[in-house]
Amino acid sequence: MGLLALGTPLNWPEAKKNADHVRQWGIEQLLAIWERAKGKERDALRWGDEIEYLVVAFDEEHRKVRLSLRQADILKALAEDVSLSKQGGCVPDLQVVKSSGDPVPVFHPEFGRFMLESTPGKPWGIGFKDLLDVEPNMKWRRIVAKEHMESNEYPITLTTFPRLGTRDDFITPYYPPSGERQRSQFLPDEITNPHIRFPTLAANIRSRRGRKVEINVPVFKDENTPVPFKDPTVDYDMHNWPEDDDVRNGAAKDNHIYMDAMAFGMGSCCLQITFQAKNITEGRRLYDQLSPLGPIMLALTAATPIYKGFLADTDVRWNQISRAVDDRTPEELGEAPLKHDRWRVPKSRYAPNSTYISQDPRLRKEYMDPDLVVDEDLKQQLTDGGMDALLATHFAHLFIRDPIVIFAEDLKALDLNKTDHFENLQSTNWQHIRFKPPPHDKDTGWRVEFRPMEIQITDFENAAFSIFIVLITRAILSFDLNFYIPIPLTTANMETAHARNAVLDQKFHFRNDPLPPRPIKPNGASGATTPAYLPSRPPTPTGPVEAEHSLMTIDEIINGQSGEGFPGLIPLVESYLNSVNVDVETRCELARYLDLIRKRASGQLWTGAKWIRHFVRSHHAYKGDSVVSEGVNYDLIMAVEDITKNEGKNRVGEEMLRSGWAARPKGSACG
Amino acid sequence: MNGGPSIIRRPASEKSNVELINALRSNFLASKQAFAPMTNGSSHTSSHDTARQIPSQEIPYSEWTAREDGFLYVPSIDFAQSGLAEERSQYDITAKLFFLPHTSATERRGHTQEAIDLVLKELHMPSIDLLIVSFPGVSFDAEDEDEEEPQWSQNGEAEDLSAMVETWKALETLHDKGIVKQIGLSEFGSERLEKFLPRTKVRPSVDQINVRDCCVVPKSLILYAKKEKIELLTHNDCTNILPSGTVRELLGTGEKGAGVLAGPEEGLKGLEGEVEPQWVVKYTAVVRDRGVIENKGYFAMAEVRD
Repeated sequence: MGLLALGTPLNWPEAKKNADHVRQWGIEQLLAIWERAKGKERDALRWGDEIEYLVVAFDEEHRKVRLSLRQADILKALAEDVSLSKQGGCVPDLQVVKSSGDPVPVFHPEFGRFMLESTPGKPWGIGFKDLLDVEPNMKWRRIVAKEHMESNEYPITLTTFPRLGTRDDFITPYYPPSGERQRSQFLPDEITNPHIRFPTLAANIRSRRGRKVEINVPVFKDENTPVPFKDPTVDYDMHNWPEDDDVRNGAAKDNHIYMDAMAFGMGSCCLQITFQAKNITEGRRLYDQLSPLGPIMLALTAATPIYKGFLADTDVRWNQISRAVDDRTPEELGEAPLKHDRWRVPKSRYAPNSTYISQDPRLRKEYMDPDLVVDEDLKQQLTDGGMDALLATHFAHLFIRDPIVIFAEDLKALDLNKTDHFENLQSTNWQHIRFKPPPHDKDTGWRVEFRPMEIQITDFENAAFSIFIVLITRAILSFDLNFYIPIPLTTANMETAHARNAVLDQKFHFRNDPLPPRPIKPNGASGATTPAYLPSRPPTPTGPVEAEHSLMTIDEIINGQSGEGFPGLIPLVESYLNSVNVDVETRCELARYLDLIRKRASGQLWTGAKWIRHFVRSHHAYKGDSVVSEGVNYDLIMAVEDITKNEGKNRVGEEMLRSGWAARPKGSACG
Repeated sequence: MNGGPSIIRRPASEKSNVELINALRSNFLASKQAFAPMTNGSSHTSSHDTARQIPSQEIPYSEWTAREDGFLYVPSIDFAQSGLAEERSQYDITAKLFFLPHTSATERRGHTQEAIDLVLKELHMPSIDLLIVSFPGVSFDAEDEDEEEPQWSQNGEAEDLSAMVETWKALETLHDKGIVKQIGLSEFGSERLEKFLPRTKVRPSVDQINVRDCCVVPKSLILYAKKEKIELLTHNDCTNILPSGTVRELLGTGEKGAGVLAGPEEGLKGLEGEVEPQWVVKYTAVVRDRGVIENKGYFAMAEVRD
């Protein structure tokens, strides 16, 4: 999560009055960053992964598993740990500067009070030794986290807790629902991190929206699922808050699982990767080129088939988070005529990107979003300040949102050496790719964050997907790959990625030919090379945009089409690896990772979503009615913890993982 | 002959020379198209469209190639326009030199110098980090590594170890001069390495082996390499990367040919004689701390004998 400065937060009516103020200062800070960092050059590739955990507590006696709300205690224990502190400490606030030795992992609080986040102690590079360190480091982080928990508590990497928001005591310690902040009839306010920023965020989103957030996930129709399915956990007779009327006004839809609080979405765990670019130009290029890959990676990492104790008919978390933080008013949503608000807003603050930002001759105007909403005044200020129109449009689009959490203390003076007001807007625009300007006080460059992937059960898988994305970025830059498609198609692809078993059953819009055409050579040039820095750029392509892309399966996109079709992301990565010096051991480890991705795409290995769904449906206590009972959930989470440890070697979960270990014969380099 | 970077479309996991052949072919074609307008006087900004109107077969090769010191550059190269964007220390530069069949150790020593000269000239750099040599017919086959029989004898083209040692001296010279920081081999099994190492002055720091499936690399080789401090790197090239038939096809008058060599048809003038490929060099410049391949390409040399 973003900045955690303390202060006096404004409630929504007050915050709203100061929204323009914060936006204005945010734009001024952005221009200051721009002036300072636009010429920043030659930054190395550094990258980092973020792993988010749920903390669960097993109750063997009652065969129950609950979410543990001891986040603060666990972080405190991590911070106080003497041996770790000696090495530098692992909670940022308490970290002591240390010059040598293995950097200790860093743990962060998250929105959910049942969550933890870990990052490596220092960023990774592109050295192949670094790539081999990723998986052991992730495993080490999990061990460190576990060591600071109670013996019955475990950090697990499921995207969501399957029984979050059920009527029973799914949390420990127990708190009753229907608190003042979220006013959820399923979750207590105590479910969120008590740091004042988080409850304020939830309350102000609800307040701005004028009602509770509304999340309806289609239920999976099994043989005994009632038709129509009316979510039996919804209480239509609650009268604690005005928002309790929401369900009486039809908020809970038939055949859907209904949820009503930010924590249902922001309590999800993701796998996010951030890259530092060489300079702003490379950063803008990566932002654009990674965008079309987002929905593909979302479908490929699918791991979210259960909500609130029911099997869902979707496989991924994305839309649920999107709706959980959707602060749009009825006017902005188009449900009421525009009177007080400035414009209709097509997407939630948490949504697929709507902009391309690279000054790239391959970027055709036809690719841009025709429905993009932009604050023209702010855009004008940015262009007056020297920013080019393309990038100014991007930020003026992000700045159509209101700042949600404003601290009174921060409104007193504008500090252009800080980035807090800019970050206020930037970090509450949760798009699937994020373009991150350098912070002021560090030697950090322009960065791009890849955000769509779902967290995987094992660290082997999390390392595999992280490293795959890193290698893809290297292939994009080395081979000048072009994945541009019209950006509304990426939005459509994100929707497609939600369908149950989308990884095998659905088709996605994707560019047919990612390879650069041979450059037109000026007379006399050798043309033997196509370095990206040459001023003579390829001309903007012509020809119908519709002919540039077609519908493809994930298998085709990852593994390639036959003949002259799309070459496949894995073959492109292999081609990159064949062009650089890689030692045998590294190549072999990387082959394990690429093999996992290859087989997930082809269906030889299952996604987490498929495995979880299958586990529930084949459980002896499952009644074929889409209900994931406490007993089934207990066995499921036990199995997940088992898989985390054994990675399928004892056959539990092997449908997801088999290749990771079975492909390694004795006496091999990989043995 | 030179060819720019290209990506093996597929199957990427199989070793092949498709990348080289495609690079050469498309570079020839692009050069022809670029030079075409000179023959009808239009400017090169519209060269692409103009060139399409002229069948490329009708463009005489002399228009887009260059003759210099008895060498014919196909296509002609302007070394002033190439080079790398940043200074030397930013890059890892690797060259892999493929010796081809029917060339002697003496010839190969000359080839080594020629190839490295071209690469340095192209990249505008004073030195390279790693030079790997590939001998024709030497093919490391993992499954055979632990068997008694020396693996190279199974190949049609047995290469004589003494000749390799002789050739190696050229690499040692480049190393001594500081032009090449490290030198390496490819496709050597542990047995062959064992025989080769004692006869070298500068030991190879790298042995590059094909990894269609890395998991069949035998432990004996891994242990031996570790003991001898030789780094085992991976590659995906075939050893006989440019057979003479392929060169004839590339340069000939056929449908896919560049029209440099004379064909059976009358009218077009081409070089007469037997063409014999001599060597191929592949070069790669990778920005060290970003893992980005900034420049990659091939040069190939062939001799035309009357």
